[in-house]
Amino acid sequence: MVSVINTVDTSHEDMIHDAQMDYYGTRLATCSSDRTVKIFDVRNGGQILVADLRGHEGPVWQVAWAHPMFGNILASCSYDRKVIVWKEENGAWDKMYEYTGHESSVNSVCWGPYEFGLILACGSSDGAISLLTFTGDQQWDVKKISNAHTIGCNAVSWAPAVVPGSLIDQPSGQKPNYVKRFVSGGCDNLVKLWKEEDGQWKEDQKLEAHSDWVRDVGWAPSIGLPTSTIASCSQDGRVFIWTCDDPAGNTWTAKLLHKFNDVVWHVSWSITGNILAVSGGDNKVTLWKESMDGQWACISDVSKGQGAVSTITDTQQNEQ
Amino acid sequence: MKLKEIKRTAIQSWSPAQHHPIYLATGTSAQQLDASFSTNASLEFFELDLAEPSLDMKSCGSFSSAHRYHKLVWGPFDMDTQGRLSGVLITGGENGNVILYDPAKIMAGGSDVIIAESDRHTGPVRALDVNPFQANLVASGGNESEIYIWDMNNFASPMTPGPKTQPQEDISYVSWNRQVQHILASASSSGRASVWDLRKNDLIIKVSDHSNRMHCSGLAWNPEVATQLVLASEDDRMPVIQMWDLRFATSPLKILEQHTRGVLAIAWSLADPDLLLSCGKDSRILCWNPNTAEVLYELPTSSQWCFDIQWCPRNPAVLSAAGFDGHIDIYSIMGGSSQAQSQRHADQISNSFGNMDPFGTGQVLPPLQLPQTAAPPAVVTPLKKPPKWIRRPVGASFAFGGKLVSLENPTPQQPTSHLVHISQVVTETTFLRRSDQLQATLSSGRFVDFCQEKIDAAENEFEKTVWSFLKANFESDIRSKYLELLGYNREELASKHGFIEEESRFLKGSKYLIVIFSSSDVDGLITQALLSGDFEGAVELCLHDNRMADSIILACAGGAELLKKTQKKYFTRTHSKITKLISAVVMKDWHDILNTCELQSWKEALAAVMTYTQPEEFSSLCDLLGDRLEAAEDTQLKSQACLCYICAGNMEKLVSCWSRAQDGHCPRSLQDLVEKVVVLRHAVEQTQRSGPVSVGILLAEKMSQYANLLASQGCLSTAITYLPSSTNQVSNTTQRLTTSRRLTIVRKQITLKPFLSVGPQNGWNDPPALTRAPKKKPVPEHYMPPAPITAPIMSPLGADPHTQPMSSGAPQAMVQGPHVGPHVGQVPFSSMQQLQFPPAGLNSNMEGAPGAPTGDTIHPLQSIPAEKIMKKPIPHEHLVLKTTFEELIQKCLAIATDPQTKRKLDDANKRLEALYDKLREETLSPAIIGGLHNIVRSIESRSYTEGLNIHTHIVSSSNFSETSAFMPVLKVVLTQANKLGV
Repeated sequence: MVSVINTVDTSHEDMIHDAQMDYYGTRLATCSSDRTVKIFDVRNGGQILVADLRGHEGPVWQVAWAHPMFGNILASCSYDRKVIVWKEENGAWDKMYEYTGHESSVNSVCWGPYEFGLILACGSSDGAISLLTFTGDQQWDVKKISNAHTIGCNAVSWAPAVVPGSLIDQPSGQKPNYVKRFVSGGCDNLVKLWKEEDGQWKEDQKLEAHSDWVRDVGWAPSIGLPTSTIASCSQDGRVFIWTCDDPAGNTWTAKLLHKFNDVVWHVSWSITGNILAVSGGDNKVTLWKESMDGQWACISDVSKGQGAVSTITDTQQNEQ
Repeated sequence: MKLKEIKRTAIQSWSPAQHHPIYLATGTSAQQLDASFSTNASLEFFELDLAEPSLDMKSCGSFSSAHRYHKLVWGPFDMDTQGRLSGVLITGGENGNVILYDPAKIMAGGSDVIIAESDRHTGPVRALDVNPFQANLVASGGNESEIYIWDMNNFASPMTPGPKTQPQEDISYVSWNRQVQHILASASSSGRASVWDLRKNDLIIKVSDHSNRMHCSGLAWNPEVATQLVLASEDDRMPVIQMWDLRFATSPLKILEQHTRGVLAIAWSLADPDLLLSCGKDSRILCWNPNTAEVLYELPTSSQWCFDIQWCPRNPAVLSAAGFDGHIDIYSIMGGSSQAQSQRHADQISNSFGNMDPFGTGQVLPPLQLPQTAAPPAVVTPLKKPPKWIRRPVGASFAFGGKLVSLENPTPQQPTSHLVHISQVVTETTFLRRSDQLQATLSSGRFVDFCQEKIDAAENEFEKTVWSFLKANFESDIRSKYLELLGYNREELASKHGFIEEESRFLKGSKYLIVIFSSSDVDGLITQALLSGDFEGAVELCLHDNRMADSIILACAGGAELLKKTQKKYFTRTHSKITKLISAVVMKDWHDILNTCELQSWKEALAAVMTYTQPEEFSSLCDLLGDRLEAAEDTQLKSQACLCYICAGNMEKLVSCWSRAQDGHCPRSLQDLVEKVVVLRHAVEQTQRSGPVSVGILLAEKMSQYANLLASQGCLSTAITYLPSSTNQVSNTTQRLTTSRRLTIVRKQITLKPFLSVGPQNGWNDPPALTRAPKKKPVPEHYMPPAPITAPIMSPLGADPHTQPMSSGAPQAMVQGPHVGPHVGQVPFSSMQQLQFPPAGLNSNMEGAPGAPTGDTIHPLQSIPAEKIMKKPIPHEHLVLKTTFEELIQKCLAIATDPQTKRKLDDANKRLEALYDKLREETLSPAIIGGLHNIVRSIESRSYTEGLNIHTHIVSSSNFSETSAFMPVLKVVLTQANKLGV
């Protein structure tokens, strides 16, 4: 069952482009073409406007919450070519950092896993991806991957911080040898994987399957298995699930989840990594789940936040 | 931003939107003579490969033709039926010919590339357009008002849209309406536009502003509003674009005036009706919002005119412009800089030299650093207004606790406010139903019924057995119940005995004469021994003579010690099948039998243990058997180990045995397991068979998994009751779960606040002060808060898990809710509150909680004075950090003489509280914790310099914000300790 438990009237004056809950699911951040970012306290079905953040000079495309261990921090990106990092201090939200290093619309922001500290990836229509790392004392280190996607990067998503190919617990007291990786999608129809080596960002993989703009990419949370999973969706209506079993991360195989009749704008993994929400141009949201035999099945059509959940996978599981 | 260029003076057409990859077709322009005055013509195809960084476009095929072209259009005709992979390219030539080409064949290098041709037009064909609804229909316009509609399925006989317009004029443009498929518009260089209705086969309206200065070079229908079109004028005296609405066809709706000389071409974006391109003889390329007449963007161009401009139908950000300077340029409307390009260009040149050693001098070229400051990169500003295709209207994202956040933006059909829906996604309905049942059982305590239901519903024999065993735990005589389950019913046995007893009664009747022999045979010797009271000797003699029964009987009379000895001797001599069993029964030694028995007879072994062993060794013996079974090869036997563990009440082993046999990840099997474990736990606690119930690592892990699964289905409050209480097991998700829950409850507290403070309404006439009194109650110094999470299943049966924290001072105040509840009509609310209170949440420091909102809404709560004692305890294993650091500071303080140092140390002592808080919250990464422990070790060995080295290492390798609160303080302490030499 998908049932609405709270409907927030955002009072945005133009189209909303993104809405994200914080780590604990107690607050909602929204952003809109009206150039504002709003934060609501939504606990227990409430909708108290906590902050109305103004600073962008164009439509705000995405918001992203940082891990709460760094405090209450929200990043937003906009058509005005800026990325703004907002921070709550003593109950008041303020700009913590403003990044103006892109030459065109910044379409996507995503915080890296907390193990890496405060690190933000930003994808822009100028084709570049920026990596902003907080180094303390109000200092941010900026690294830029130029021409990551010709005529524009539409989405970025971080890989979970797991040591490739190793499930063995690292001895405490020793910093695990994590490799920073993320995935991006762009107007060159490509999905690209990036990896940091010796402090430099390098293109690790180029995944080709889409025949039109890649609108969104989502790296699935780790569920303790050595498999990496990425979802990508495109203007061409297709959603692909990319998986990689080998520890080196070199061999990726694509499986077509579905071909929709309209553009697919957004994909989002559930926290447990087993359900994918796909948002299409017809404003339909569908939920997908992998069955025991590795096939992806649509388990729900969500409209206005509501929908039934089919139990196809349940019966399949029972039969096993 | 310029993406690509083709060095041709040519007219162009993009491949249709359906086509992948994207191609651009170019044809030698009939209007253009190049320097050689050559009249040769060709069609060429180029692929737009954006993954390739260079400016060049790859030529994918060409065709030499005798004709030059006025117009190219590329339509998707037959593309979907696999007939023509790349559709059809339709060309209009200077001799009045219309030719259909097969682009796929040209690109494949094949012959026979012309599908059809016709030269029905009398003059040059300058206008062509493919119907957007029926790809087989193409309209063409020539001189003398000639317009034909060609059906590519029947190319030989074109139709006309109606009688020719008078006076006759050259048709410069034709265009199909984007909304209504039978409406066609044509424009002539004389400035008039005509709109045709093909169903009526007639002209329906003429559009003209009567200025007679319009020279129509372009015409385009509004992609969204069926009645609107724009006309462009190439007359330098009137370089305008007019927007008309056919419903008010007396004058233009809007006039776009920015060009200073005639407009040569226009293109209306199909992807965003707010974007219209125009290029003119003033060498400018402008992007308009035709609906507001505003210029949104001006493309940076060369100084030459462009005579043709087109949007790429597939990639909405891409456009191509053909100029008289011999270039077709491909641009992105999205801005960006040309810096990457100049870098690309430089790289390209370097590449051409190969291997970075261009002149074979053995010297490698240094990498080229472009002087970035000298020439500021040509930043191209993007469109003033974002194009429609990047304005994402939808986007559902998952959030913690199985929540789905989705957007609802108003649409013309459904005008609403801008809403965000937060939905609960529940996928595991069966799982949740079962979890609810379990919860209900836990609260009602009706375990017998629960087990019985499980037995009745069991899918297989084993499942049934397991539940029967579990059920036995809640019945009066547990062991006999177990025995019964193992197939040993005492009553049944008794009836079997009856038969034997009959026989013995029959024997009782006979009498024997007692004759005492004292001869020298064995009998005699025994008699002698007996007569002399030498039981030991007599027994020895009997044994020697193999009179076992006699010897035992005698031994009985000879005292306990002798009996024992004799029994032992008996067992060493006798070797029947059941001797071992008898031996164990008599000697009360079951270890041996359990260690050596055939595993096939595990049931018997277990039954024996049930019958004979003492409560204190019962569990360990069951475990022993379970271990052996688990180690068996036979999978059947392996699973039986579970039964042993159930009897033993050993949850940890049950979990490990169970999860080895099952796929523990699927919700169903996890529920299966948890049901059993939870029931067993209650049983164990009820009977107190094995002392305090501890939670092992594996069980804790499974419980966490279960809690996470519940959380993912939105059952946060239930989930929390399953979280293992041992603090060293706290995982990220556990922390997330508890904090999330706590934050939610904090809010509830606030909403409740007004009720609390309204005195008279309180119902019990308690003044507010009294209500609050418990909060201020002093708490003993050594007050230990209750275990962070007290789950119902982890507490003794019957005891309300929530009474525990209530009795312990501080939190009591927080549970005022129930008092207020009934009065304010919030019964479900307050009772829920009572149920859902995780003591952990209440005990921890609100301010210290990561992510806790500190907005105005919770200020009242922050002022509660009980805050300090509500901190969580530091996890036991990290307590050493606190004690060591504090000790070190005390030592330093004792030695330090000057007040400044003392002040520093005092301050450090206080400021280290930040570290302790982090330890309490368990927010520090393992790396840092490990490092701190290393420092403690170095302090213990008084090697402070080493400590400082570790300190440096931690600071450099960790996240600053994570450590900034305490690491500098720690450094001060270590430095002082080093200096003072404590």
